[in-house]
Amino acid sequence: MDHDHDLDRREFTVGFLTASFAALALRPTVADAATESPSPAVLDQPWAVWDKNAKPVRGGIFRLTREQYIGKMNPNHWPVLDWVSMGYFHERLMMNDGRYNSTVLWLAEKLSWESPQEVIMTLREGVTFHDGSPFNAKSVKYQIDWIRDPASKTWDANWLAQLDTVEVVDDRTLRWKFKAPWAGFNGVMANVPGYVMSAKALQDDVDKYDSQPQGTGPYVLEEASPGNYLKLKRNPNWWFAKASGNPDMPYFDGILVTIIPDPAVRLANLRAGQLDALVLEKSQYAVAKTDPELNVYRFPGNHLAALRFNNTKSVFQDIRLRKAVSHAIDRQALIAGTQFGLARLASCMYPDDHWCHNPNLKPVTYDPDLSKKLLSEAGYGGGLTVKGYFSNTTMSQTIAEAVKGMLAQVGIDWQVELLAPAAATSRIQKMDYDLAQGGWIFIYDPDLMPTGLYYPDGGFNFGRSKNDAAIALIEAGRKEIDREKRRAIYWQLEEVLYNSYEDAWLWWEETATAFRKQVQGWNQEGFLKYQDAWFWSHPLWFKDGKA
Amino acid sequence: MGKYIGIRLGHALVILAIVVVLVFIIARIIPGDAIMAAMAGSVDLHDPSVVERVRHQYGLDQSIPVQFVVWLAAFLRGDWGTSIGTGQKVLDMFVQRLPVTLELFLGANLWAIAIGIPAGILGAVKRNSAADVAVTAGAIIGVSIPAFWEAILLIYLFAVLLPIFPPSGYVPFSENPLLNLRAMVLPTFVLGTHAGGLIARYVRSSLLEVLGQDYVRTARAKGFSEAAVVARHALKPGMIPVVTVFGLFWGGLLAGAFLVEVVFAIPGLGRMSVDAIFQKDYAVMQAMLIVVSLNVLLVNLLVDILYGYLDPRVRVRG
Repeated sequence: MDHDHDLDRREFTVGFLTASFAALALRPTVADAATESPSPAVLDQPWAVWDKNAKPVRGGIFRLTREQYIGKMNPNHWPVLDWVSMGYFHERLMMNDGRYNSTVLWLAEKLSWESPQEVIMTLREGVTFHDGSPFNAKSVKYQIDWIRDPASKTWDANWLAQLDTVEVVDDRTLRWKFKAPWAGFNGVMANVPGYVMSAKALQDDVDKYDSQPQGTGPYVLEEASPGNYLKLKRNPNWWFAKASGNPDMPYFDGILVTIIPDPAVRLANLRAGQLDALVLEKSQYAVAKTDPELNVYRFPGNHLAALRFNNTKSVFQDIRLRKAVSHAIDRQALIAGTQFGLARLASCMYPDDHWCHNPNLKPVTYDPDLSKKLLSEAGYGGGLTVKGYFSNTTMSQTIAEAVKGMLAQVGIDWQVELLAPAAATSRIQKMDYDLAQGGWIFIYDPDLMPTGLYYPDGGFNFGRSKNDAAIALIEAGRKEIDREKRRAIYWQLEEVLYNSYEDAWLWWEETATAFRKQVQGWNQEGFLKYQDAWFWSHPLWFKDGKA
Repeated sequence: MGKYIGIRLGHALVILAIVVVLVFIIARIIPGDAIMAAMAGSVDLHDPSVVERVRHQYGLDQSIPVQFVVWLAAFLRGDWGTSIGTGQKVLDMFVQRLPVTLELFLGANLWAIAIGIPAGILGAVKRNSAADVAVTAGAIIGVSIPAFWEAILLIYLFAVLLPIFPPSGYVPFSENPLLNLRAMVLPTFVLGTHAGGLIARYVRSSLLEVLGQDYVRTARAKGFSEAAVVARHALKPGMIPVVTVFGLFWGGLLAGAFLVEVVFAIPGLGRMSVDAIFQKDYAVMQAMLIVVSLNVLLVNLLVDILYGYLDPRVRVRG
C-alpha cells in the first residue's frame, strides 16, 4: 500500500514538473502578450468601457447603403460625398465628444498647449498604415505640408491658414506653431485635415490615392465600383484592437456599401434582408419602428434648420419685421407636420447638446397676434410682400408651403420659389432674396457656423448680415483657448444674435437608424453620451457571426 | 443607295455640330454655382475660398468662350473632362456605365418585342374579340403607367413580399451571370412594358391596314391558311411603320432608362445623367447630351436606311 501511495506521489511530481516545464516553454507567448497589452492611454478614456457580458462574434459582411458614391477617397481632394465610409479606412488625430467638442484623443495620444500659439502633440505608438508604413511624426508632418502645398490642389488648405510650422521633435512628437492664438486647432485636427494618410502612398502616387486610400482604420478598401458599391475588408492589424484589449476587433469580416439613390428602394432592401442597417427618412420612421425584424434608434443630429433674412438690403433691415416673421411661425407644428416629430425646437444656432449651447435662451414663441402688431408698427398693417427661395426637394417644398401659409395668416405674402441647389446658390451670392432657406450642416467647432453665416467674408454671408457685436465676438472666440472662457464668448454671441433676431431658427435635427436584429452591440446610452468616440471604439457584430 | 446614305449622314453631322454648341451654352447659362451647391451638401462652407479653389481646379473661373475652346479641344482629343460630382474622368465613367445601360436596353427591347409583336398580331387577327380588347387595354396600361410607380410596385411585390428578385442593384454578367439576370428582370420589364405597349398598338393598326389589302385577299383566295397569310404576306409590310416608330421611341426608351436606373440603383448612363443634371456637373451633362444626340441621330439614320431598304420608292425620292 505504501508503494502504491509513493507511486501516486511520483506520478504527481512527474506530472507537476512536466506541466511546469510546459509553462516555461510557453513563456515567450505569454511575454509577447504582455508587450501587446492594452494601452492605458486608451483605457483611461471615459468611453473605453465594453460590456463584459457581451460576447462579440467574428464574422459576416455588414451591408450598408448610401445615397451617393463616396467620390474621391483622399479627404483633401474634392469631391468627397460620404464621410461615414471615409471613416472606415481613415482615422483622425482627434475626435469629437458627445458635446461636439473636439476633446477626444484618437491617433494623437497627448496634446499639450505650451502657449496659445504652440502645441506639443504626442502620437500613438504601434500604429501602421494599411500599406505597412509606420504612422509617426514624419508621416504627419509630410501630410500637413502636402495639404498646404498649392501644387497638391487640396480644397481644405485654408483650414490650416493659422498654422505657421509643424516640426518633428522625435518619432512620436510634433511641435505645432501658429501665427496667432488658434482656439480652433483641436477642431481642425478632428476634421478633414486631421484624417491621417500614408505619406509613403502620397509620395508614391498621389493620383492613385484618390481611388486607393491607405489609412489606419479598422477596414481596408478591397474593391470600389464607382457609382455602384464599395467593398471593404477587415484590417487584422488595427491598432485600436490591441490598444483597447479587444484583439478580435473589428468583428465583421468586411463591409459592403451599396449605392441606392431612392429612399423607398433603400427601405425595401432593408425589409427584404439585403441590408443590415439604414439611416431612415423621417417619413419611414413610424413604419420601421413597428417592424419586428428591426431595432430602430433615434439620435440628435448636429444640423440646424432656419430661415435666413437679408438683413442689409431688404425690408428685413427693420428688426420689427424680422420679429414678425419669427413669431408667426409655429415651430412645433412644423416639426410635427413636416418632420414627423423628428426634430428639436431650436432657440438659436447651437443644438442643445452642443457644448456652446446657451441654455438661457428659449425658442421664439409662436405669437401671430404679436406678429400682426409688429407689422402694423412697422407700417405694413395692410400687408407685406417679400420674395425668397427654398430647395425643391419634396421635404423642403412641404416646409416652404407650411411656412408660406403661416406667414399669410399674419399678412405676409412670401413669394417663394423652389430651386435646385445649384440655382439657389446664385440667389445667395447676389443677395437676391428677402427671406430664404437657411441653416447649417455639421456643427462642430463653434467658430465655423457663425463665421460662415455672420462674418463679413463668411462662406454664406455675401453681405446679408452685418452685426458688429457678433463680428467682434466671433473674432474673440477664435483666439480664446481656455475652454470655459471660449464657451462664455459663444453664449454671448448666441445672445446677441438671438436678441437681434438675426435669423429665424426653426429646429435642430434628429435622425433615426434601423438595424436588423442580427446586428448586435449597439448601446444607445453610450452613443448619445459619447457620439463619435463611442461609435468608432465599439464596433458592432452579428449574432452568431452571420448576417 | 450610297448617295441616299451620304445625304443623310451629312445632315446628321450638321445637326451634331449645332447640338455641341447649344449644349455647352445651355449648360453654362442655367443660373447657379455648381461647385458651391455640391460642396454645401457635404462640408461646411465657412470659408468661401474653398469654393474658389475647387472652381479654379475645374477651370470654371475662366470666361465661357475660353471654357468652350478648352473643352472642345480636349473633347476631340478624347479627354471628356472630369466630373464635379465624382472626381472621375468622364470618359472612364462613360465606358464603365455604357455596357450596363446597353444591357438594360437590350433586355427592355426583348421584353418589348416579346410582348408587343405577338400582342399586336393577336389584336389584329382577332379584331373586336375579347382578346383584342385585352390587348388594347394592356397596351394602354403599359404606355400610361408611370415607370417610377410601376418600378416601386414591382419591387414591393417581387422583392419584399415575395422575395423572388433582388430589390435593386447590379452585378456584372461576367462576375455572376445568374445574379445579373435575376437583378435585371424587374428593371428591363419596367422599361420594356412601355415600349411593348406602343409596339402592340402600332403592330395592330399597321397589320389591320395590310390585312385589308387586295394582295392579302388574293393570298387567302389561293387557299393559304390565315397563319401563312399573316406570316408570309402581311407581317413584313406591316412592320414598316413600326420600324419608323421604333426610331422615335428609342429616345423615349432612353428617357425611361434614366428613371429606371435611378429607382433600381443601376449604375448606368441614365443614372449618371440624372445625377449630373441635379449637380450641374457640366462635363458629364455635355458629354451625355452629345452622346444622346448622336445616338438619336444614328438611330434615325439607320431607320431611314432601313426604310429605304424596305420600300425602294423612298430611295428614289430621298
